[in-house]
Amino acid sequence: MKYDCVVVGSGPAGSITARFAAKTGAKVLIIERRQEVGVPVLCGEGISKKIDEWNMLESRRWIAGDMEGARIYSPDRTCVTLSAEQAGNETGYVVYRDIFDQELARLAARDGAKIMMNTQATDLLKDKDKIKGVKVKHFDEEFEIEADIVVGADGVESKIGKWAGINTTLKPKDLETCAQYTLTNIDCKDAYCDFYLGKQIAPGGYVWVFPKGKDVANVGIGILASLSESGMAKKLLDNFIANEPRLQKGEPIRFLAGAVPVTNPVETTVQDNLLLVGDAARHVDPITGGGLTHCLEGGKIAGETIGMAVEKQQFDQETLSVYETGWKEAFAKKIKRNYMVKEILLDMDDKTLNMLADSLKDVKFDEISTLGLIKALVLKHPTLLMRLRPLMKVSKEV
Amino acid sequence: MGMPKAMVDRKKCLSCGGCISVCPQDALSMEGMKALVEDDKCISCAICIRICPVGAISGEVYS
Repeated sequence: MKYDCVVVGSGPAGSITARFAAKTGAKVLIIERRQEVGVPVLCGEGISKKIDEWNMLESRRWIAGDMEGARIYSPDRTCVTLSAEQAGNETGYVVYRDIFDQELARLAARDGAKIMMNTQATDLLKDKDKIKGVKVKHFDEEFEIEADIVVGADGVESKIGKWAGINTTLKPKDLETCAQYTLTNIDCKDAYCDFYLGKQIAPGGYVWVFPKGKDVANVGIGILASLSESGMAKKLLDNFIANEPRLQKGEPIRFLAGAVPVTNPVETTVQDNLLLVGDAARHVDPITGGGLTHCLEGGKIAGETIGMAVEKQQFDQETLSVYETGWKEAFAKKIKRNYMVKEILLDMDDKTLNMLADSLKDVKFDEISTLGLIKALVLKHPTLLMRLRPLMKVSKEV
Repeated sequence: MGMPKAMVDRKKCLSCGGCISVCPQDALSMEGMKALVEDDKCISCAICIRICPVGAISGEVYS
């Protein structure tokens, strides 16, 4: 059977793309190499409440915790508290990603998408240079799936882009390598997502504690891959937990590893008969490492673009570029700006981060303004202004 | 004897895909939900070894 569109990967970006394409009447197939959608979870499981406005999910079973805000701890443990609205992408809900992903896949199926599990893409199916679908392996059986459009929703390690000649290889300085326990028997009565910064704690990244109930939380670490040594993420996370009074008694019920692109988005996400979505397109905030909201926003645009292309029976790059224009308008600027900010933050030593936190700790963030921020900095740590000049420059440019 | 090439301990690998995303030679891929090195493509750069969050990749000298 020939499909209008085959989506490689049943993560959030894949399922949303498939759903919005199927809604228009397109024949859509999702292939997933795993035996269960959403498992294993590879995520810190935080998401912004922006998701409520989009009405893309129906049940609330995927919500583990409803957060009031975020607390950022500098290396000397000065705490800056942010309300949920100010804290950005990753604070809002803590979710069960397995249930979340399965809910999105269910809705894709409801709207007409087919799903094939245990099916790994092994190559693009091409006729000369033209993409005609994917070659797959389903258990021991190898076969071809024909489709007018192939969607690479195959995550951080994306092969679809590479097979199509798009260079998606990440530099180690543009990858966060992560490890995470779900710890029980700990105290997290406060509904706050906590972030801990410092060169000793998590070089080029942070440790997070995301509550999923009053005595259970995801406790994870991301470190910049260029600063990592073999097994370092897990070792530093174990150290952190052993030295943190409220986590010491914790017992793990899950352990997982992760990898998060912290780079600029892929510039060309569209080719004749092909597009890339989600982590495969590097649609991730380079500061926080959060990508779920971009997956949903970008995936919807991708799905609608596919629907339009199927209607016209035109699958060339120009027709599909409606998707690229759409996601660039929606969030490319923000990702690029935050990439520059990430580079500046990486240059800051622990002392600077401490001064910054000390300047910000009493600022009421619902009244934040650039002027207020500068006043707070000048009053407390005038020398900081010099170090923050690159940041000011970025905020002026974009 | 050649340079040590990357080798994945399948018992330790948690299939995060980080090594695959940074390999400059595209020598790694996921096989049965574990990372796998194609040793004839591996150039012994050791990037994957250093970035593995759980230390599942080591250098092995192939004979």
